[in-house]
Amino acid sequence: MRRILRRMSAAARARMGAWILRRQGRDTDGVVLRRGRIYILPTTLGLAYAAMVFAMVIGGLNYGNNLGLAFGFLLAGVGLTAMHHCHGTLEGLALRLHATESAFVGYRVTFRILLANSAVAPRPRIEISTDEARAVPADVGAGATVESELSIAAIRRGPVPLGRYEVATRHPLGLFRAWAVVHPDYRAIAWPQPATRGRPPPAVETDTGGAQDRARGDDDFVGLKPFQLGDPLHRIAWKSYARGNGLHVKQFAGTDVTSYIFDWDSLAGLGAEARLSQICRWVIDAHDRGEAYGIRLPGTTIEPNIGRAHREHCLTALALFEVPAGHG
Amino acid sequence: MAEPGTALRGLGWALAALAVAVAAHVGKLPAWASVSVIVAGSWRYAAAQRGSRLPPRWLLTLAAVGALLVVIATFRTVNGVEAGTALLAVMAAVKLLETRAERDLTVLVFIAYFLLYAALLRDQGIARLPLLLAGALVATAALYRVHGGIALTAPVNVLSRTVALAWPALPLALLLFVLFPRLPGPFWGIASGQSSRTGLNDEIMLGDVSDLSVSGEVAFRVRFDGPIPPPAQRYWRGPVLHEFDGRRWRRPPAQSFPQQTVTWLGAPVDYQITLEPHDRPWILALDLPAAWPEREARSTYDFQVVARQLVTRVTSYRLRSYPAYIAGAELPTSLRNRDLRLPSQGNPRTLAFGRELALESADPMAIAGAMLRKFRTEPYHYTLDPPRLAENAVDEFLFETRSGFCEHYAAAFTMVMRAAGVPARIVTGYQGGEFNPLGGYLLVRQSDAHAWSEIWVAGRGWLRVDPTAAVAPDRIERGVRASVADAPALTRIWEDSRLVSQAQLLWDYVNDFWNERIVRFDARMQFSLLQRLGVDEPDWRTLGLGLTAVLAAFFVGVSAWLAWTFRAPQRDWPERLHRQAAVRLARRGIVRRAAEGPVDYLERAAAHCPDLRVDLLSIRELYVALRYGPAPADEDLRLLKYRVGRLRA
Repeated sequence: MRRILRRMSAAARARMGAWILRRQGRDTDGVVLRRGRIYILPTTLGLAYAAMVFAMVIGGLNYGNNLGLAFGFLLAGVGLTAMHHCHGTLEGLALRLHATESAFVGYRVTFRILLANSAVAPRPRIEISTDEARAVPADVGAGATVESELSIAAIRRGPVPLGRYEVATRHPLGLFRAWAVVHPDYRAIAWPQPATRGRPPPAVETDTGGAQDRARGDDDFVGLKPFQLGDPLHRIAWKSYARGNGLHVKQFAGTDVTSYIFDWDSLAGLGAEARLSQICRWVIDAHDRGEAYGIRLPGTTIEPNIGRAHREHCLTALALFEVPAGHG
Repeated sequence: MAEPGTALRGLGWALAALAVAVAAHVGKLPAWASVSVIVAGSWRYAAAQRGSRLPPRWLLTLAAVGALLVVIATFRTVNGVEAGTALLAVMAAVKLLETRAERDLTVLVFIAYFLLYAALLRDQGIARLPLLLAGALVATAALYRVHGGIALTAPVNVLSRTVALAWPALPLALLLFVLFPRLPGPFWGIASGQSSRTGLNDEIMLGDVSDLSVSGEVAFRVRFDGPIPPPAQRYWRGPVLHEFDGRRWRRPPAQSFPQQTVTWLGAPVDYQITLEPHDRPWILALDLPAAWPEREARSTYDFQVVARQLVTRVTSYRLRSYPAYIAGAELPTSLRNRDLRLPSQGNPRTLAFGRELALESADPMAIAGAMLRKFRTEPYHYTLDPPRLAENAVDEFLFETRSGFCEHYAAAFTMVMRAAGVPARIVTGYQGGEFNPLGGYLLVRQSDAHAWSEIWVAGRGWLRVDPTAAVAPDRIERGVRASVADAPALTRIWEDSRLVSQAQLLWDYVNDFWNERIVRFDARMQFSLLQRLGVDEPDWRTLGLGLTAVLAAFFVGVSAWLAWTFRAPQRDWPERLHRQAAVRLARRGIVRRAAEGPVDYLERAAAHCPDLRVDLLSIRELYVALRYGPAPADEDLRLLKYRVGRLRA
């Protein structure tokens, strides 16, 4: 029964969302919630409250009990004020995307959404949710900006869009729920699920530089360079760091430059997704070892390089790769 | 959002709300109900502090069923205010034991709201108001605590935020109260439960001490159209007692007797009586009532005015009485026999005494006179704390203890009269009253309860005889307090003090105002108020229009208030004006350099443009004063605007 209800409510939400989308259009990034797009309805608690107030007023009228009547009116006034307050808590709230965090299939991609309150009053208990995800309610203080995280399970490789989310609040008394629907065009990437370790990486393919190539190889120590995010940790010159010279990375050069190309075609005999998974595994491992690598997919080639940005570049290419016909 | 432990946000507030709500019923709620709430509340609070587990479900079911059975056993019903309140209270206690989630907490808050409301069904006195508002505030604060954000913890903050949130409800409630259409009568009947209100009963038990005589509660208030009758005429007629069983005088169950004719003498007294609720039907009319609102009341064969419904709320009636009358010049035999009947045994000495009197004279007036003379000349004593009486109560009182209050004297007198062959009965009611000069009304308290006799004399009808007056004339002229000699000295000084009595009168005036204007506010008063406000012929449509206007104004007002609450921070006017000045100066070719401060810039500009020199230096000064001065003045801001405006050109 409950499941049916939930499914019905999900369907209702989807239809409602579609209707709202027709009404207010798709949002570009950065939305300020205005009167026209905030909806409000009583919660179950609010309906119970209304019933209680109604009973009090009717009882007061019936028994000619004026104070009971006044008490009912007082509570009705509290409820109506709370309704306005609930609406006001959302009105003027600004929302925009702060960052998306991609993840491997089987994990959760995260959308970090900034809630900015430019008013002099706080906006407590702002809840952001989608059909499948729900963020922890955020208290956005006066003049404050707070980040709220929506984590969505990455089920399938490829882009994970966030096409619709709801921002809602039950502040202040829980009698009403005000909400707005935002139709952003956010997307995170679900990287392929890495294959289990086992298959050795393919042989080194290219030797792109000689002894003077500072960026490649690990035979001969040529010097130190300042540490940058993405540099492999095992190359940090700890001794130099201990001397108080700051974080540096040892640089090597040499003729035996190991630089991999992970090639789609080298994995003949595997299915398309399995190939992507395998390449994904190799990319992760190569990055962890600090080795230079590139990938070659039908129609896409990424030259060998190192670093975090490169890793993400490769993983994204794998995630978005469209399997050519015949490789199903 | 259920939390794993027993700690729950807002629990303390919900408990406080329940505590206030139960306190509003203190003295009326059965002790076990209050105690169960207190115990369960304390236990639940301690459990939250220690993080201990809540009892299992079967125990709760057991407790709930047990509580229901106790309520039914006590009240024989779950209907009505008394039983309903007790049931709500014990259910709150049971609910406390299983309060795990926000939802349970809100149930507690709702129970608290309902208990507060139920307290109003019992008593609408003004003294209730502070407790009621406090209860509503705390209950709302509990809801706010649950839904109002996590950072909010200090109780003072929660309260002040709740007040800041909810205050618009007060003016709205006030206006709705004035404008909401009232019903002429109830939709459905009013459940009459057991009553615990003080009021006049329709029987007298000799030897029992009346709790009325020491109650300072208000019985009713009377506004006279003309002058107030003198104290000796202020007899307020209540139940008439006919049946005597040797110890107890009772009002017989309704029987039909012919209405007796009355001849009115002298001038009528017109007045309005406002009764405090006493859960009985009597309307205490001045002796002897001649006219009453026929739709709401009727008169009995023994001249008592009885309301058609129990007086369960403050109610007013317009009455007319005549202090002088000949009531029932003819006495039907059925009535005569009934008011001569005496129990077949008991009180032999009184019977003998009555018969003796009858032998001495056949004139009922002479018999009554002899009896009153006995009271006056022999050492009879008026006291509110008489000795207890045993089997032959009247004998003991009349010949041995010789001390008692009005009931004793009236009972003994009436019995002697019957024994002497004079038809006689006891009339209970109130006697006296205190004039409140502030409100211009007569205030009658429960302690003014009184009992007197009526004897029937051929040709003159029923005559009022007050034997108490023979013993303690002060009782009639100055009230109970003056006539009781045995009150503790300190109490008397307290009560006699002028200041205290002034304060009491003032307080009663406030209460009367409250009763007349708020508690009894009805359709008639509603329309007359509208007329005074300038509406010529108010009707339902006026009310509807008014309500619509009020609601619209409320919505607009609250929206405006919220817009102000959620306003953006104030703009930095000096900074804006300075920037405006810079734009205008730039048009003249004086562009502010990157590293140039406002003051240097203005000075450089002043050096360049001699025609604007005065303005620019003034702007510099005002800008500095507004931004960095100790107390920026609005006046300076206006001047700055003016000076910057002069740069236009």
